[in-house]
Order: sequence, then structure tokens, then C-alpha cells
Amino acid sequence: MNPVDLLGKIIEISHSNIELSSRITSILNIISRDMNAEEAIIYTFDKDRRLSCRYANQKSVLFKILNQYRCHVGEGVVGSVAQKRSPLFFTKRDIPPRFGCLFYPDLDGRIENYKLFAFLPLADDSYLYGVLALCAVSRDTLHDADKVFLSILSREVGGILRSYELILSSKKRISELATLTELGKMLTSNAEPRELLKNIALVIAKSLNATFVTIMLGYPFLKLDAQRFTYGIIEPSVQDHVEELEGAATRLLRAVSIKDCAPDEYEDSFKYTLFSAPIASKNRVLGTLTICAEKTGQSYALGEDGQYLISTIANYISSGLENTLLNTRLRDAVRELNDAQKRLIEQEKFRSLGEMTASIAHEIKNPLVIIGGFTKRLARQVDIDRTENKYIRIILNEVTRLESILNEVLNYVKETPLVAETCNINDYLDEILYLLTSDSSWEEIEISRSYNQGLSLVACDSQQLKQVLINIFINAHEAMHGRGTITIQTKQAAYENGSFVAISISDTGGGIDPAIIDNIFNPFFTTKERGTGLGLAISNKIIMNHKGHIDVENVAGKGVTFIIYLPVKNHTTKEELL
Amino acid sequence: MKNAKILVVDDEENIRLLFKEELEEEGFDVDLASNGLEALDKLKKGRFDLVVLDIKMPGMDGIQALNEIKNANKDQPVVLCSAYGEFKQDLSSWVSDGYVVKSADTRELKQTIKNILGL
Repeated sequence: MNPVDLLGKIIEISHSNIELSSRITSILNIISRDMNAEEAIIYTFDKDRRLSCRYANQKSVLFKILNQYRCHVGEGVVGSVAQKRSPLFFTKRDIPPRFGCLFYPDLDGRIENYKLFAFLPLADDSYLYGVLALCAVSRDTLHDADKVFLSILSREVGGILRSYELILSSKKRISELATLTELGKMLTSNAEPRELLKNIALVIAKSLNATFVTIMLGYPFLKLDAQRFTYGIIEPSVQDHVEELEGAATRLLRAVSIKDCAPDEYEDSFKYTLFSAPIASKNRVLGTLTICAEKTGQSYALGEDGQYLISTIANYISSGLENTLLNTRLRDAVRELNDAQKRLIEQEKFRSLGEMTASIAHEIKNPLVIIGGFTKRLARQVDIDRTENKYIRIILNEVTRLESILNEVLNYVKETPLVAETCNINDYLDEILYLLTSDSSWEEIEISRSYNQGLSLVACDSQQLKQVLINIFINAHEAMHGRGTITIQTKQAAYENGSFVAISISDTGGGIDPAIIDNIFNPFFTTKERGTGLGLAISNKIIMNHKGHIDVENVAGKGVTFIIYLPVKNHTTKEELL
Repeated sequence: MKNAKILVVDDEENIRLLFKEELEEEGFDVDLASNGLEALDKLKKGRFDLVVLDIKMPGMDGIQALNEIKNANKDQPVVLCSAYGEFKQDLSSWVSDGYVVKSADTRELKQTIKNILGL
């Protein structure tokens, strides 16, 4: 093929759509065939700016041997051509003595058959992309025209390599942008922090082709139960480096790479590139982002300048976390507001119900007093042993019962202010139990106590609390029909950030039917033949007024446990007490 | 000894009747009024050893009536008697000499009256 046709063919290939490495291989095949050179090999720079064989013609024998070696610029024939950016042509006989040997001392045996060598820099006006090496067995001379042709050719191949680099860096840029776009989308979503962090790790790992991505939150953030969010698997051999890098990134407040922390390992056996960046907000380090990718892997974005990208991503995450934090706070606030509103409506409903009940009770009270009062007068005028007197007694009993119901209702409806005093619950329970159990109906009830002796003091209205406790004890007594065990336990308890004293009272009365358990605190709900259904409602109200609450644990068929939580009295210093 | 005179003030006719009969049985002279104004009128015209005053009444309620009575004569003994278990009274007003929850059982009312009159 004449040089013009050859060049035309090469230009045609270089502008084709096929994959870049295939294009270069095709060009090398043509050069090899047309130049009668058995070997056509291209050296390019690797990450460390060392020259290594990257491409060769298909039939190349030396490629497999030569690509095990790398050389710096200025080193050996290839390095020298790269340094001077001028071609070298020579035969086996006139290898310039300054090179000693052509490639490497132990390779000289393998190249004995080669008679002609040509080394050309692959460069354009400003930049060197590599070196083209040709070795021929079947010819030992090179015409000047061939040399000129090869020079033109090498410029053309340099151009192809340049476009390849441009494409690579654009791909890298696109991959970076895609990652950031994905992240941006995610961070503006309203996902829960946990989900968000997991998804961030996933997106980064996928779009950067990383081996693993791990986000470590060192700051007690968002009340999350986990501290590390990882996508992928952290190999044990990398684990230490991850922690070291995270420490460095936090300390230095900037992105760091494995190269900064452990350059030796990075150079040699280490097959990963590792970056870590602080996730910081207003100079407060919330955590770190660490990305790991294989050195030889297809990770466009994690090149030498990965620090820049990872810093950008970390900034994205920190603003996203801030955003999520605000969102979470907002959501909490809204929820609290809703709860407060619900409570308010409930209270309002209750209050108007209470007012209505009070007014009805009052209206009933007068007629009841009249009926009862005159019946009493009647009773005094009828002989005690007459049948009429028996009827009158029944009427009077029912009037008394109605009156006591009305009193309870009015008691429940009216707001009784708290008269708070400091109270030792253990002593208090003993006092009440002593009073209760002195009655003969309690003879067959066993009382089992388990007190926390170091129980905190509570501030409570002892009269009202007595009403609550007696109510629960009497309910237990009735549920067990006067025979069974009441177990009383006191302990410290934490509930929603508050410190409480818990009094639990269990009976062996068979428990409450699960179908009605939700109703037991409702006013006027009762299972007793003669009960107003106000006992537990009043108890609940009293405990709520104390800023405490009552829990019920029901084991149907066995028994029920009421747990009263009362807030611990705020710590008072001795000075304050005096 | 001359019987003690008691004025029972209540808007319910049957309550008035009940209290009248119960108190007369105890040996008191009982006069009746159905509201605060009528009570004030009767107090102006005659002397009473004690007034039993219902709280919830139309027109002038018991608390208002108490104030009027005490303003006119701060030594006039008054017993408040109401169906309510509690009532609201502002601190600047006069305080009654006794307070009884209205009940079919009139023993507490009688006892309170006797205590105040020193009987």
C-alpha cells in the first residue's frame, strides 16, 4: 500500500465509531503489516506517570513480556525518546552504547532475532501521550521516506490518544455529574434519615463503581441508632485504613487519600484507592464519607484527583443532613402540635360533658332530697313492724344510693387542686396497706412486697393518691373475691426523657376481658353490679394531674397489673431545702 | 325559753316545706322565703336568729343574698345549703357561718344550726 493510501486508511479507522482500544489495535496491525515490522507496540503513561505497554498488534510476541515492565521518562530507550521527544531508529548492530541493552538486561536474549528498531514519540505540539515502538525480524534497513512517514503516522496516533483521553475525562466528568445529580435528587426528598443515608451510600457506590462506600456519623445525630451506613463490604485488610483515613479527615477538616496516609502500601501491594472526606456543617464535623474503589477498576471518577469529587459529595451530604434534621424537627413539632390539639379537644369535650353532668346532677339532687326527706318523715309515722315501713326503708336505701352516686359524679367533675407534699411512696404504701388489711375481709389475701429501697421522693397530694391506691386495691380485692395474692413493686423508671417512680400492683383475679380493656378508664364504665364506673376514671384523672400516667398490663385468665408512674421530685439542693 | 326563729330561703317549694317541718320538729319557729329579695324584705321587717340560704336561686342567688344580709347586719348568722359539693365565692365577699350539703338526711343541717345557736 502506498503511504498516502496507508495514511488514508489509518485516518479512516481513527475516525470510525469502533471502540478506541480496537481502533488502535487495528492501526497497529496495519502498521505492522505494511512496515514489515513483526512488533508494533504503544507505550502510554500510567497513573504514576510511568511508561508501560498498553497496546500492540495482534501478532505481537513481545507485548506479553514487555508489559510486565514499566519505566520512568528518561529511563532506557523508551524513556529517552519520551524525554527528548525525538525518534530513534537503529539496527541491532548499531544500538547506541549509552543504552547498554535495548529494553532490559534479562530481555536481551528474547530479542536476538530482531534486526531493526524504531522508537517514535506520540505527541502533538504541546503534549506527549506515549511512545510507539516497532521491531522487525525480516528487514534491517529503513528508508528516509519511511522515517518521514512514520513521523507523520505517530502524530496521527498521538491525536487518537489525545481524543481518547478527552473522552475518558468527559466520561469521568459525566459520571461525577450523574452522581451529584442523583444525590441532589435524593437529598431534597423527605426520606427518613436512616433510609437517606443508606440510599446515599448505594447511589455513590453504583455511580462511581466503588467497592464500598461508608458513611460514619460521629456526631450524635438525628437520634439514629446506627452510626455507620455502608454499601458494599469492607474487607478486613482495608478496615484499619478506613478508620485511619476517617480520623485524618476529621482532624484535618479536608479530604484525604490513602496516598497521604500510607504511601508505601499504596504504591505496592494495595489494590484499592481510598478517599475519606469530612461531612461538616459550619465547621462542626458530623461524620465522614469514605469511598473505596479498585485501582484497576473501571471507576472513572475516582482518579488521582478524587479528593475534589469526594469533598463535593460530602458537602452535599452535610447540607442534606442539615435539611433532614430540620425536616425531622419540623415533623416532631407538627406532631407535638397535633397531639396538643387533640388533647385540647379532648379536654374541652370533657369539660363541657362535665358541666352538663354537674348541672344534671344538681337538678336531680333537689327532687331527690325532697323524696328522701319526706319519706324519712313518713317512716317515722308508720309503725316499724308494718309492711309499709319495709317498703319505705327500700325507698330510703335507694335514695341514699342515688345521693352517693351524685356525690361521686360531682366529685369527679369538679377540679380538685393538688396539695402537693414530698412523699416516700414505700412508707406511704405500707400505711395504706396497714389500714386496709386490718379489716377481716382481707384475711385471705396475701400481700407480697418488693420495694426499691433507694426510691426517689415524689411530690404528690397524699389524700388524692390515697384515693387512687385504695381504689386499685379494692378492685383487686373484689376481682379475687377476697382470696389471692396482691404483689406490690416499686422501682425507678425512665419514660420519654423523664424520671419516674413506678408503683406496680398485680392481682391474681383472672384479669380483665380483653374486649373491654380499652374502656376501663372511661367514666361510667363498670362491670360491677353496683358501681358508678368512676373509680378508675377518677384515679386516672388524679394521676394525670400529677403529670404521671397509669399503665395496665392484663393477662387474661391470670391477673391484671396496674402501674402508676409518678414524676420524681426535681432535685433540690440542700441550700434550697434550707 | 322562747323558740329560736329561723328563716329558710329556697326556690323549691317542697324543699322549703321539708325543712320547715323538720326544723319545727326540733322546736324552731320557721318562716319561709322563696328568693333572696323576699328574704331581705323579711329580715328588714323582723328579727331572725338564723337564716338557711340556698345558693342556686333565680334572681338574686344565695351568695349575693349572703352579702346583702351581712352588709345590713354582720352579726346575722347565715347557713348556706346547696346541692353542690362546692361553690365559688370570691374572697372579698362575706363568709357564711356554716355550710351544709343539701341532703335527704337533715341531721347535719340541724346539728349545724344548733352549733351556731349554741344549743
